[in-house]
Amino acid sequence: MEVEDEDDKPVKKKPQAKAKAKPVLSPKKPPAKAKVKPARTKAPKDEEDIDEKPEPKPNWAAAKAAKLAGPSAPGSKAVPEPASPDCLAGLAFVFTGELSSFSRDEAVDLAKRFGGRVTGQPSSKTDYVVLGDNAGPSKLAALKKHGLKTLNEDEFLNLIATRKGPKGGAVDEKAKKKQEKEMKAIRDSAKEMEQREKEAQTAGPSKTPGYGFRTRTVDPSSKLWTDRYAPQTLKEICGNKGNVEKLRDWLNDWCVLPNDLKSGFKKPGPQGMNVFRGVMITGPPGIGKTTSAHLCAKLAGFTPIELNASDARSKKLVENSTNIANTSLDGWMGGGSSTNAAGITITDKSCLIMDEVDGMSAGDRGGVGALAALIKKTKVPIICIANDRSAPKMKPLIACTFDLKFRKPEAAAIRSRIMTIAFKEKMKIPANVIDELVTGVGSDIRQVLNMLSTWKLSSSTMDFDEGKMLSKMNEKYAVMTPFNIIQKILGPYLFSATARETLNEKMELYFHDYSFVPLFMQENYLRTIPARVRDDDGPLKILRQLQLMDKAATSISDGDLVDALIHGPEQHWTLMPTHAVLSTIRPASFLYGNGAGYGGPNAMSFPQWLGQNSKQTKLNRQLGDVQIRMRLKVSGDKSEIRQSYIPALFPHIVQPLMDDGSSAVDEVIERMDEYYLSREDWDTIVELGVGDNKEDLVLKKIPAATKSALTRKYNTSEHPIPFHKAQDLGKAPKKLAGGPAPDLEEAFEVEDDAVDDVDDSKKASDQDDIKNDKLILEGGSKKKAASKPTAKGKGTGKAKK
Amino acid sequence: MLWVDHYRPRSLDDLHYHEGLSDRLRSLAASGDFPHMLFYGPSGAGKKTRIACTLKQLFGPGVEKLKIDQRVFLTPSRRKLDVNIVQSNFHIELTPSEVGNYDRVVIQEILKEIAQTQQVDLNAKQRFKVVVINEADSLSRDAQAALRRTMEKYMSNMRIILCANSTSRLIAPIKSRCLLMRVAAPNPAEMKAVLSYVASRAGAGSIPDEAADEIISDANGNMRKAILVFEALKMQTPDLSGPLSIAKPDWETYCHKVADMIVKEQTPQQVMEVRSKFYELLSHCIPPTIILKTVADRVVERADESLKADIMHWAAIYENRMRLGNKKIYHLEAWVVKVMSLYKHFLFDIDMTGFED
Repeated sequence: MEVEDEDDKPVKKKPQAKAKAKPVLSPKKPPAKAKVKPARTKAPKDEEDIDEKPEPKPNWAAAKAAKLAGPSAPGSKAVPEPASPDCLAGLAFVFTGELSSFSRDEAVDLAKRFGGRVTGQPSSKTDYVVLGDNAGPSKLAALKKHGLKTLNEDEFLNLIATRKGPKGGAVDEKAKKKQEKEMKAIRDSAKEMEQREKEAQTAGPSKTPGYGFRTRTVDPSSKLWTDRYAPQTLKEICGNKGNVEKLRDWLNDWCVLPNDLKSGFKKPGPQGMNVFRGVMITGPPGIGKTTSAHLCAKLAGFTPIELNASDARSKKLVENSTNIANTSLDGWMGGGSSTNAAGITITDKSCLIMDEVDGMSAGDRGGVGALAALIKKTKVPIICIANDRSAPKMKPLIACTFDLKFRKPEAAAIRSRIMTIAFKEKMKIPANVIDELVTGVGSDIRQVLNMLSTWKLSSSTMDFDEGKMLSKMNEKYAVMTPFNIIQKILGPYLFSATARETLNEKMELYFHDYSFVPLFMQENYLRTIPARVRDDDGPLKILRQLQLMDKAATSISDGDLVDALIHGPEQHWTLMPTHAVLSTIRPASFLYGNGAGYGGPNAMSFPQWLGQNSKQTKLNRQLGDVQIRMRLKVSGDKSEIRQSYIPALFPHIVQPLMDDGSSAVDEVIERMDEYYLSREDWDTIVELGVGDNKEDLVLKKIPAATKSALTRKYNTSEHPIPFHKAQDLGKAPKKLAGGPAPDLEEAFEVEDDAVDDVDDSKKASDQDDIKNDKLILEGGSKKKAASKPTAKGKGTGKAKK
Repeated sequence: MLWVDHYRPRSLDDLHYHEGLSDRLRSLAASGDFPHMLFYGPSGAGKKTRIACTLKQLFGPGVEKLKIDQRVFLTPSRRKLDVNIVQSNFHIELTPSEVGNYDRVVIQEILKEIAQTQQVDLNAKQRFKVVVINEADSLSRDAQAALRRTMEKYMSNMRIILCANSTSRLIAPIKSRCLLMRVAAPNPAEMKAVLSYVASRAGAGSIPDEAADEIISDANGNMRKAILVFEALKMQTPDLSGPLSIAKPDWETYCHKVADMIVKEQTPQQVMEVRSKFYELLSHCIPPTIILKTVADRVVERADESLKADIMHWAAIYENRMRLGNKKIYHLEAWVVKVMSLYKHFLFDIDMTGFED
C-alpha cells in the first residue's frame, strides 16, 4: 500500500500505451462506473467507527464530530462525474502528502481508474503532482527542480470532471499515431497467432518434431490458454529479454567451434557462460521460465527432454534415465524412433530440462547430487529450473551451473501480450484494468491468463472495479518480512487521519510474524520522527514527544506482561490479539511518522535482543561453572560471585598480569588454585567485566606472551580439581519424565510409560557396567590417559580436606 | 585465600552477632526434634554461614568434608541438564533454580532418592539427612507445590533447610511448614566488631575507626562486601590512614554512568544509548533488579527533591513488572523513558517560571 514507493514503478515505463488502447476497448465503461461510484464514496464514513486509534480515554462522539466537522473530513468530497471515462489518460501523476478527503490508496485508485498513471517519484515526465498536507520534502525538492504543475485535492477532482480524454481530441497527433500503431501491432500478432493455430491443425503430427507418434493434435480451443498462447518465438516472451538471449546464445554455441563441447568447456565466451555445461534458471512462478527454456532449446535445434517434479528423480533414476546412449528397443519396436531406458526419444541433439529441481525432495534421495555429478560430465546441455536459488538443497548445483535469475516482468512488459490474447478472444479489457490485474497477482502471467479464461466464461468485458475485485480474489498471500512490516506500521500512513485500515487489518501485520514483529517494534519505535508532534515547536515538541514515548514504552511493557502469560506455564494463547495491540499497534499509534524507510535519519535495525539474550545465556552458564568450582570455598550464589567476588578477585588474578606481565604468572596461578579456578574460568572472569574491566580493554593490556605463558604454565602444572564433569565420567543421563508441566489439565499429554521403564532399566544396567566408567581404565591403555586418575585422586583428596 | 573465606566462622560458638539466634539453633540441634527451616535475610548477612554452623552442630565435623557431584538429566525434549550437588555424608545441597523450568522434576527426583535411603552410617548423630535448597525464592510455583507434600511425607528420613533472600516469593504452605529464621543484616557496631576481629586474625593490627566507618557505610549491611572491601583497601594502603577511596565494583560504576546519562539528556537517541548500556549489563549477568535499584538510587541522588518520590515510585512499579514479565529490558526502558519524561517536564517548569518573573 505504500504505492508511493515501489508498487507502481512498473507503470512508469510506457506512458502512452494505456491511453492508446483505451478508445477501442472501453466503450461500455461509463454506466458501470456510475453504478459503483456512490457506494465507494460512502464507505469511508462507515468505516470510521472501527478505525479509531486506541486513545487512553476514548471520547468517541467528540472524535467523530471533530473528524466530520472540518473540510478535512474523509469522504467529505464526492468524486465528480468524469467528463469522459478515460479523462486522465496519458497523464502521469505523483501523489505526496495526505489529502483531506481521500486516503492515499483511494486517490491513486481514482487516478488509475480514469486512465492516469501513478508513479512514485516526480520526474520530468510527470504531468501533475497532487499535493496534500505534510508533503514529503524530497518530493517537494524534485517538484521544484523539474518545475512541475501541482494540484490540490479540489483541482484534482476538477480535472476529472472537466478534462476530456483522448477521445475528445485532447491527445496530440503524435500520441494518436503511436496509439494506432500499437493497435495495429496487436491485431497483427493476433492474426499471426490464429494463422499458426490453423497451420498446426492442418499440418498434423509431423510438424511437431521430437514428440514422435505419441503426440496427437488437439483442437486449440479445448487447450488451456496457458498452453494455447504459450510464446512461439523469442519476441513473444514477456520480460527477461537479456536472460533469454543469453540462454539462446549458450545453446547455439554448444556445438559450434570453438566453443563449449568441442573445446572441452575451456573458453568462457562473451558472456562467460560457455565454461558451464548446465544453466540454472531461478525466479518466481508464472513468469515463463519453463516456456523460455523449451523455446530456446527448440530454436537452437535441440530436442527438449523435460523431467519435472512428477517424475521420480532419485539418484539411480537420474543416472539411468539420462543415460542417453543406453537405448532400448522398446520405442523402435513400436514403430517410432529409438528411445532410452526411460522411454524418452533420442535424437543426436537432445537438451535436458530439469524442471522444478527444488521440488526434488524426500522421494528423490540423492537426486540433486546425482544431477550435479551428471552436469559435470554431460555431453548434452542441461537446464535446471527452480524457484528458490538460496535453498540449501540447491547447493550442489550452484557451483556447476551458470545462474540466470529471471525477474518478475513489469506490468508494461506483459500488457501488450495480454491485450493481444484478449483481442483474439474477443474480450474487451482496457489497458489500465490489465495493469491492475498484473500488479494484483505479482506479475504472474500464467495466473493472469487463467483468471481471464475463467472470466471469459461469464463476460467478455471487464471494467476497473471488476478487475480490482478479481485480482483481490486471486491475491497471493505473501508473507511480508519483519523489516517491511515494521516500516509499514511505523510509517506515516497507516495511522494518519485518512488511513482506512481497520484495527483488524493492522493486527494482521503482527500476525505475519508474531514472534519477530514485537521485537522489531521495541528495537525501532524510537527511530521515527513522530507525526503527532509535527505541528509543535520548541520545548513543547520535546515534551510531547517524551510523553508519547512514555506511553509507547509503557504499552510495550504491558505487552511483555501479556507475553509472559502466553508463554508462561498456563499458555493463554487466546491473549494473542491483546499482545498484538499492546506490543505493536498501540506503540506505533503514538510514534508513527517519517523516519526509518521514509526519508528519516534512522534506518530500521534488527533487534539486538536476540543476540544479547543468547550472550547472556552463555555467560550465565559460564558463571555457573565458576560458581560451582568456587563453591567448596565460597558460600555465595551466582549473582554474589558476579557482584562481589569477581571484582574482588580481579586485582589478584588479572591485574597482576596487566601490571607485571609474565613474572606474575606463578602468583596468579596460586591464587586461582585456592579457589579451584581453571584456565577457562580465568577467561570467563575477564569476559564478565563491564566498563573499565571490559574484556577487550583488559586483554589489550595483557601482552600475548604473558597470556600464553599463563596457559603454558597452567597446563604443565597440577591443580586441585573440585569435581569431574558428569560428561567426562561417562555417566548416563537420567531421563526426566515430566518436564515443565503446564498448569492446564488438558495440556498434559498421556505418556507411554512402559517404553520409558524399559529404557530406564537398560540405562541402569549400563550405569553399573564398569567399562562405561571412563575413570577406570583397562590395562594397557596409553600413558596419556593414565594421568587422569591420578589427577582425580589428588583432586578429591584435596577437596575433602 | 580471601579473608572473607579464610576467617569465616565454622561453628555456632564462633559467630559474632545474632547471639539469640545462635542459642536457638544450638538448642534446636540438641533437641533431637529438628524441624524444617527457612533462613531468610539480605545477602551478606550470614545465612549460609549459619546453616553450615548448624549442620556442624548437628552432625559434627563430618559435614565439612564436602564433595561436588554433577548429575545429568535428560529432559523429554532430549536436552541435557547438568545439576551440581554439593554433599557430605550427612547433608546435600542443591540449587534447583539452575535448571530453570525443570526445577520441579529435578527436585522431585533428587528428594525422592534421598528420602528413600536411610542413613547408613551407624555412628551418625542423627537418623535423618538434611537437604539444603539454595535460592529457594526463585523456585517456580510448580516446584514449591511439589515440595510441599514431600516435606511431610519423608519427614522421618529428611529435613529441609531453605535459604532465600525474601519470603515474599514463597507460597504460604511452604512457609507454614518451616521454622522461619530471619538473619538480619548486622548493625554497624556488629560489623565493626567483625572487622576488627578479621584485622587481628589477619595480622593487620587494628583498624582505624574512620576507615571502619567508611567501609561499613559503603557495605550497607553486607558483611561479605565489607570484608572484601577491607581487604582490597588493605592491599592499596597498608596503614589505612588518610583519605580512603573505596573502589566500586565495575558494574556499579557502569550503572552510575547510565544514571548520569539519564539526567544529562532526555531524547530518543539517549534512550537508545541507555538501552545498549543496559544490554551490556544484563548480558554480563548483573541481575536486572540490581541494575534498576542502583541506577534509580543514583538518579534520585542527582534529581530535584520534588522528583525523588515519583522516580522511586515508578522504579518500584517497574521492578514488580520485571518480575512478572519475560523481557527485563522492556521494563527497564519503560522506566527510563518515564523518568526522562518526568525530568524534562520538571526542567521546563523551572524555565517557564523563571521567565514569568
